[in-house]
Parts: sequence; C-alpha cells; structure tokens
Amino acid sequence: MSLELKTHNEETVIVRIGKALDFRNASEFKAQCQDQVQEGARNFILDFSDTGILDSTGLGSIFSLYRQVSPLNGQVVFASVSRPVQVVVQLTRTYKVFRQFPSVEAAQDTLA
Amino acid sequence: MSAEHHTFSDLDVLIDQVHDLFDEWERSERFAPALGVDDLNRLKLAVHEWLANLVQHAHFNGHHPQIGLSVALQEDGIQCTISDNSDGFNLDDELTIRSTSLESLPERGMGLLMLQACTKRLSYQRVNGSVQKLEFVVSTKDNPWLKIQFS
Repeated sequence: MSLELKTHNEETVIVRIGKALDFRNASEFKAQCQDQVQEGARNFILDFSDTGILDSTGLGSIFSLYRQVSPLNGQVVFASVSRPVQVVVQLTRTYKVFRQFPSVEAAQDTLA
Repeated sequence: MSAEHHTFSDLDVLIDQVHDLFDEWERSERFAPALGVDDLNRLKLAVHEWLANLVQHAHFNGHHPQIGLSVALQEDGIQCTISDNSDGFNLDDELTIRSTSLESLPERGMGLLMLQACTKRLSYQRVNGSVQKLEFVVSTKDNPWLKIQFS
C-alpha cells in the first residue's frame, strides 16, 4: 500500500493516500510526515481520491500529525474526499478540524 | 434472498479479501437500492474495525483461525454476524473503559467506539465451546456519530 509524498513548496506537502490509511500503514504515514515536518513542512494536503478505507488507526495518525503542526501554525486539510472517507468524516465530525477541498489544486490555491 | 455468507482463514490477507468483497458488492449493487452507498461504506467500516481488532489483538491459542462473515438485509438495515474461534473478550467492558478514557484527538482507542457508533444491537458472545459471534445491525435510517474532543 503506497503512500506518495510530493513537495508542493517549502512548507506544503501533498500526500496521496492511495487505497487505504489504516492499521497496516498508519505508522509509515506518521514516520514519513514526521520526516517532512523536520525538513520544514507545516501544511499537509491529504489526497483521498482513491481511498477505500480510513480506519480509526489511520484517523489517529492524522490527529497525531495535526497535533504536531498546529503549534507551528500549520494545517492539515483533506482533498478530493472519497465516499468511504466521507463516511468516517461525518461519523467523527472531523470536518470541524480538517478543512475539505474538492481537489488538491483547490487546496493548493488556498494554502499558497 | 439478499444474504451472503463467507469464511476466511488467513489473517494475513483477511482485510484485503473482505475489502475485495465489499468492492464487488458495490460494483454489482448487491444490496441496492435497500442499502445506499454510504450505508454500505458504514457496514464496511464496522466490519473492518472488528477484523482489524481480531488481526491485531485476538488470541487463537494455537488454533487455525476461522472467521465467518454473514450479512442479510432487514427491513431497517443490514444484519451482520462475524464469527471467530479466538479466546474472545468482554466487549461491553472494553467499550466502557474506552469511552471513559478517550483522550482529545486520540491516536488510539477509537476502533471499538467507531464500531459501536455506527451500529445498533451490538453484541459479542460465545455461542458454543469454541465459537464467538459478533452481531450488529447497520441502520439505513440513522445518521450516527461518535463524540470526539478536538481540543
């Protein structure tokens, strides 16, 4: 299950989540994002366009990232949210914490 | 009749196999129109959370794992039964502990609470010497939510 990280600019990273962010790859997500924060990234755009499952462990790893970047005035935003992920967002009301954008490009424009 | 039963025995590929099954149900509109796409995704999330719990924490005491998944449409939703031959645990006690100790923006401990939040009539009981059954209904009429503190 491959996560793809792409640097948009010095402070912003796009993470293409792929098929799943769950208990099987949440540690990898955390570690890769942590590396980016250490290199100066503050804003993370999570691209959920192909994602079939976001589970509790995956959501927990996003909360962890949010806790890391919030004191640095950073943001974690969701882009192109698939329906399985939207079900989790609604169930947990996390739209109150993570802004949602219809596409990665729309998120990039706002965070630029 | 709109019902399905499947069995699984390899924990290493269990999650992928079950996800493939849900993908097939969505593609073929297996439970449509009674069950909408979001209802099916809520069922998938509930099943995934339970199986993730089994894969990560269950003790099979040297037995070869045997997992059964049954779903059947009902008037107000879809009934799901997941059987297993692990040692089991007291689900009600775990839910009480987790609901009272959930931190703000929690990194762990949400799985069973998410399962509880998106289901009704949830129970986990031993049905004979070696088999336990999780049973629940995902309602097509509710808009469930789990309260998490964000600050």
